[in-house]
Amino acid sequence: MTKTAQQRTNLLQGTLDMLILRTLLYGAAHGHQIGKHIQRTTNDFLQMQHGSLYPALHRLEKRGWIHSKWETAPDRNREFKYYRLTEKGRKQLTVEESHWKQMADAVARVMWPAAEES
Amino acid sequence: MKWWQIRRRDTELERELRSDLDMEEEEQRERGVPEEEARYAAVRAFGNHTLIREQTHEAWGWAVWERMWQDARYALRQMAGSKRFSAVCILTLALGIGAEVTIYSVIHAVLIDPYPYRGAMRMVHIHLYDKDPAPYDLALDSTQFTQFAKSPVLDGAIAEDVYTMALTGSELPQQLQVGRLSPNAFDYFGLPAFLGREFGRSDGEHVAVVSYHFWKSHFTGRPDAIGRSLQLDGQQFEVIGVLPQRFAWTGSDVYVPLPDSRDPRRPANVYARTRAGFTDAQAEQSLTPLLNTFARETPANFPQQFKVHLVHINEVAIGRFRGFLVVLFVSVTALLALACVNVAILLLARGEVRKAGIAMRKALGASTARILHGLLAEAALLSFIAGGLGILFAFAGIRLVHLLIQPLPTVFPPESSIALNVPVLLFSVGVASSTGLLCGVWPALRLARVDLRQAVQGSARNVAGQWSARNIHMALLAIQVALTILLLAGCGATARKLQQLLNANLGYRPQNLASVNLVLTEGAHNTWADRTQFYEQIRAAIARDPKVISAAIGHLPPLILDSTPVSAPGSNLNSGNVIAQQVSPEYFSTLGIRMLQGRLWSSGETAHAVRLAIINDSMRRRYWPHTDAIGQTLVLNHGVANGNVWRLVAPGDDQHFQIIGVVADTPNRGLDETAYPAVYIPYSMMPFDGFDVAIRTRSNPAGLLHAIQLDVHRIEAGQAVGDLVTANDLLNGDILGRERFAARLFTAFALLGLGFAICGLYSVQSYLVAQRKRELGVRIALGARRKHIIGTVTRFSMIAASIGSGMGIAASIALSRIFAHWTSGNVRDPWVLLAVVGVLLGAAVVASVAPALAATSIDPVHALRAE
Repeated sequence: MTKTAQQRTNLLQGTLDMLILRTLLYGAAHGHQIGKHIQRTTNDFLQMQHGSLYPALHRLEKRGWIHSKWETAPDRNREFKYYRLTEKGRKQLTVEESHWKQMADAVARVMWPAAEES
Repeated sequence: MKWWQIRRRDTELERELRSDLDMEEEEQRERGVPEEEARYAAVRAFGNHTLIREQTHEAWGWAVWERMWQDARYALRQMAGSKRFSAVCILTLALGIGAEVTIYSVIHAVLIDPYPYRGAMRMVHIHLYDKDPAPYDLALDSTQFTQFAKSPVLDGAIAEDVYTMALTGSELPQQLQVGRLSPNAFDYFGLPAFLGREFGRSDGEHVAVVSYHFWKSHFTGRPDAIGRSLQLDGQQFEVIGVLPQRFAWTGSDVYVPLPDSRDPRRPANVYARTRAGFTDAQAEQSLTPLLNTFARETPANFPQQFKVHLVHINEVAIGRFRGFLVVLFVSVTALLALACVNVAILLLARGEVRKAGIAMRKALGASTARILHGLLAEAALLSFIAGGLGILFAFAGIRLVHLLIQPLPTVFPPESSIALNVPVLLFSVGVASSTGLLCGVWPALRLARVDLRQAVQGSARNVAGQWSARNIHMALLAIQVALTILLLAGCGATARKLQQLLNANLGYRPQNLASVNLVLTEGAHNTWADRTQFYEQIRAAIARDPKVISAAIGHLPPLILDSTPVSAPGSNLNSGNVIAQQVSPEYFSTLGIRMLQGRLWSSGETAHAVRLAIINDSMRRRYWPHTDAIGQTLVLNHGVANGNVWRLVAPGDDQHFQIIGVVADTPNRGLDETAYPAVYIPYSMMPFDGFDVAIRTRSNPAGLLHAIQLDVHRIEAGQAVGDLVTANDLLNGDILGRERFAARLFTAFALLGLGFAICGLYSVQSYLVAQRKRELGVRIALGARRKHIIGTVTRFSMIAASIGSGMGIAASIALSRIFAHWTSGNVRDPWVLLAVVGVLLGAAVVASVAPALAATSIDPVHALRAE
C-alpha cells in the first residue's frame, strides 16, 4: 500500500458511509459494484479498499440503514448479495448530506475567506 | 446480531467475498489479462482476504470475544503440540501455587481468622506484670467483675474459673476439665449452640453445656444427649446444649455457670474484649486506676506494684510461632517466584524456537498486538490450568498439614480450622493469575517484537546464541539459584535446630517414664496433715504395682514453670528468681536425675515438711560458684504463709531453707532454653489441691492407666485420675513438635525449590545445545575434544550457579537477623551454608550431565545437514 493511498483511505473513513448510501440511491447493488462505482465516479481518486468497504456495509446493515438479500444477477446466472437502501437509510442519507454540506462550507470559509467575500 | 449466529454469518460473508472476487477476476479477464494471471491479479486488487474478514467481524461487535476464543483455541493447540514442555510448565506452576495456597490456608486459619467468636481479634487476656518476667492473670471477685465489665473501653467481659472435676456416677470416676463461665459468657462469644441451647442469666447453677468433642466421646454424638444429666464431683448437672466444633475456649470438656462468689478468696479469671476504636494502650491506661482500686480492696489477688498489659488471645496461643509462619509464607512465596522464573526461562527458551513462526505470521499481516494477545493467552491458559491443578495440590497439602499437626494439638489454637475455604480460594485465584502475568508477559513482549528479517538472519547467526537472550537467561538462572540457596539455608537451619534439640542433654531418662495428674474433689482432704498423707498413700499404691519400678510426686520436665523470688544471704547474687518445685524424695531416682552433691530428704523429713532444700547445678553455679552450697541458707518468698482455698501450708511460718544437696540440671524453661536456677522442696511444704505422680515403668507405660485407676479407686472411690502422659509425648509435644513441623515444611519447600532449580538449569542447557547444534557439530568435525565441548555447554550454567550461590549466601547472611528474630534457627551457620552450596552445586552438575552428553554425541554430518 502506497503512502498516498493510505492517506486517501483515512480521508474516506468518515464519509464512506455516506458515499455508500448515496450509491445505493440508484438502486440495489452488490459490494463489488458499490466499490467500483465509487472508484469510477471519482476518476479513480478514491480507490476502494475492500478492508473498509465490507466492514462499512455490515455496519450500515447492523444499523438498519440498508438491508441485504441474495439475488441472481440479471445478466449472469449467479447469485450476489445485493444491498438496498431502507427507508431509515434514505432519511439518514439526507442527514449525512446536510452535515457534509455544513462541514464543507465551514471548511471552505476558513480556507478561502477572500473568495467568499468577492 | 447474536453470538450464536456468527458462524452462519461468517459463511455468508465468505460467500459474498468470494462472489465479488469472482467478479473482479472476470473483469480482469475482460480487460485482457491472460487467463492464468487473472486470478492472481484479482486477489492482488482485492487485498488481504483474511484481514477483510476479520475487519468485517469487528463491525458485528463480537470480535473481542471471538479473538479471545480463537486465542484460547490457538493456545490449546500450541500446548497440545508440545506436551512435555507444557506438562513441565504446568506442573512447576501448580506445585508452586499448591504450596503457596497450602501455607496461605494455614496463615488464614491461624493468623487472620483463627477464632469463630464475635470480635475475636479484640479479645484479650489481662496480664499484670511486676518485676517477675512471668505475668499474673487478672482475677476478680464477682462484685469487682460487675464493676469491671462496665468500663467504657471494654465491649464485654467474662469471668472464668477452669476446674478439674471428676465425672462420677459410673464405675470408675473420670477426670474432666470444667469451665465455669459467668452467665453472660455465651452472649459474649456470640456463637450459637450446635444442638440445644446455651445457658444464660436466667438458668440455675445446675445446667451444663458440653463441648463438641466431649459430646462425640462421651455421648457418642447422639442427639438425645440433651436433657441427660452429668454427675460432676457428686453434683447433678442437666445437659442443655452442645457447642459447635470450633468452640474451644480454654479447651474444657464441659461448661457450667460460675456461681456468684463475693468471697475475695475465690476470685475468677477475667477476660475481656476491647471496644472498637480504642487502642490497647488507651484501654490499659483507662483500666489501670480501676484495677489499682481493686488491688487495695483485695491485695492478696494482685502483685505489688503492677503494670496492666493486654495480650490478644491469638498472641497467647501463637506467640513466637507467628514469626515462623510469616517466615514460612515468605519462603513459600519465594518458592512460587522460583516456579515463575522457571516457567519464564522455559517460555523464553521456547520463544527462540518459535521466532521464525511468529515472524511469518507478522509478515502475513498479523499485528503485534494480535500476536501479543495470542502469547498472553497461552500464558493465561497455562496459569489457569496450573491454578486448577494447584488447588488440587493445595487440597492434598492441607491434608498433609493436618496429618503433621494431628499429634500436636497445641501447635495452633484449637478453634482454628485449616481448610480450603472461600477466602483461600479467592487468594489462590489471585495467585494463579498473577503468576500467569509474571511468567508470561515478559517472554511474550520479547517474542512479539521480532520481525521477519531478524528471525531469518537469526537462524544463520545461531552460532553462539544471542547475547541479550543469554544475559537474560543467566540473570534468571542466578536469581533462581539464589532463591534456592535461601530456601535450603532455611531448611538447613531448622533441621539443625531440631537436631540440637533432639540431642539436647536432658538430665533425665525419658524412656519408660510417664505421669498422671490427680485433682481432689473440691473441699476434700482439707487439712494439711490429711492431704499430705493422702498424697503419699496414692504414690505408694502406684509404686506397688508390679509394672512400676518407682513412683514420685512431682511434674515431669520440660514443663515450663513459674518462677519465685528468692534471696540467698551470703551468696554471689543475694537475690533473684528461681523455679521452686515441690517433689517427693523418690523424684530424682524415678526420673534418673543425677545427684551431684550432698543427700536427699529422708521420708520422715518429708512427712514433717522439714525446711531442707535441694538445688540444681545451674543455681549452684550462679549463686555459689566458688563456695560449697551445702549448708547454705536460702529464703523463698512465694507467700508460703498465705494459704488459700486451693493451697494448704505446712505448720510453722518459716521460709528459710537449708541446702542439703545439688542435682543435675533438667530443662525447666522449655527444651530450647538453658536450665533456670531451681530449688526442690518437699511436696508437703505447700500441697495444692492437685498433684502429678511421675512413674518409672519396666516396659512401655501406655496401658497402665486402668491399673492406676483401680489402685486409686480402692483408696478413695470418688477420686478420678487424669490421662497418662508419657515423657516422650511431652518432649514431642509443644516445642519439639513445632520445630519438627517447621523442619518438615522447610525441607519440603527446599526440595521443591531444588527440583525447580535443577529443571531450570537443565532446560537452559538443553536449549543451548539444541540452538548451537551446528556450531558444536563443526567443532567436533574439526577435532574439538569432549572436554572442551562439555566445557562450552556447562560453563554458562556454572557461572550462573556460582553468581546465584554468592547472591544467595549474601542474602542469607543479610536476612539472618530477621530469620533469627522470628524463628529459633540460624541461617548464617557456616556449616549449614557450606552444605547448602555443596548440595546446590551437586544439583547443578546433575542437571548438566544429560545436556553435556547430548552435546558430545552430536553427529557433525547430521548437524550440518539439518539446516
